[in-house]
Amino acid sequence: MRRLVIVIAGVGVFGALAAGHFRFRERSRLDRIVRSWAARVAIEGPSMEPTIAAGDWLLVDPLAYAERTPDVDDLVLATDPRDDGLVLIKRVVSVDPDGWLRLEGDDPMRSTDSRVFGAVDPRSVSGAPWFRYWPPRRIGRID
Amino acid sequence: MDLLRTIAPRRAAHAHCDIPCGIYDPIQARVEAESCYRIIEKYLASSDEVFRARCLIVKEERAQLAKHHIDVLWSDYFKPEHLEKFPDIQDTCWKAAKQASIVKRTVDLDEAKKLLALIDQIDEAWKGTGGPAATRLPA
Repeated sequence: MRRLVIVIAGVGVFGALAAGHFRFRERSRLDRIVRSWAARVAIEGPSMEPTIAAGDWLLVDPLAYAERTPDVDDLVLATDPRDDGLVLIKRVVSVDPDGWLRLEGDDPMRSTDSRVFGAVDPRSVSGAPWFRYWPPRRIGRID
Repeated sequence: MDLLRTIAPRRAAHAHCDIPCGIYDPIQARVEAESCYRIIEKYLASSDEVFRARCLIVKEERAQLAKHHIDVLWSDYFKPEHLEKFPDIQDTCWKAAKQASIVKRTVDLDEAKKLLALIDQIDEAWKGTGGPAATRLPA
């Protein structure tokens, strides 16, 4: 009985120390997952193949670009400049001198993007897709 | 499947390509299915073998077109978020596509009527998910 109490106390103390040690890093990681879950999206359309396919379900970090503007090669969710009811998923291919972003699909043959509608306002970017959680056989990070 | 519905995203992000035109309307399938119905009526009323043969050929084509339009609605128009409101829509589309195949091989008016009824169910879901506003161009 005494041994059990000691073991439980030991585990508790170790757990508390470990939690304190990792609190900051783990907490921010957990926060990111929680907010990305709330902002998750289903993909429609072929323009991001082979990176992302229609039917993929992705976690999207809505704060990824809160402190920095998207850069070349970043994946972004952005409002379609021609239809503010449509959220697009594209990749930044270049940044204009004025800071506006040129977006393209990873499959340029099947993508309507900045080649058609021009550069987009960085303020129209609403997050960074970073993890595919469905379908099961393709779970994993995306970039 | 309930779990799947729970983890399904509530919104879509479009890996957009303008080439799929975004115009989806069950009326296309309905018009073809109506053609099938009328053609069967004409077939049954005629004793001209040549005319009857033509009826069968046209019915075959029209039923195939109805099936194609149903398939497009099923795979391209309906989205994960629509399943919440119309959980049976996958099943309805599947049955409608199969019914179009049945219409190809019979001259039974009841089968053509069943196809129309299934397309009307799809139409209801299309309207209930904002299909007309999303896909019809303003005049």
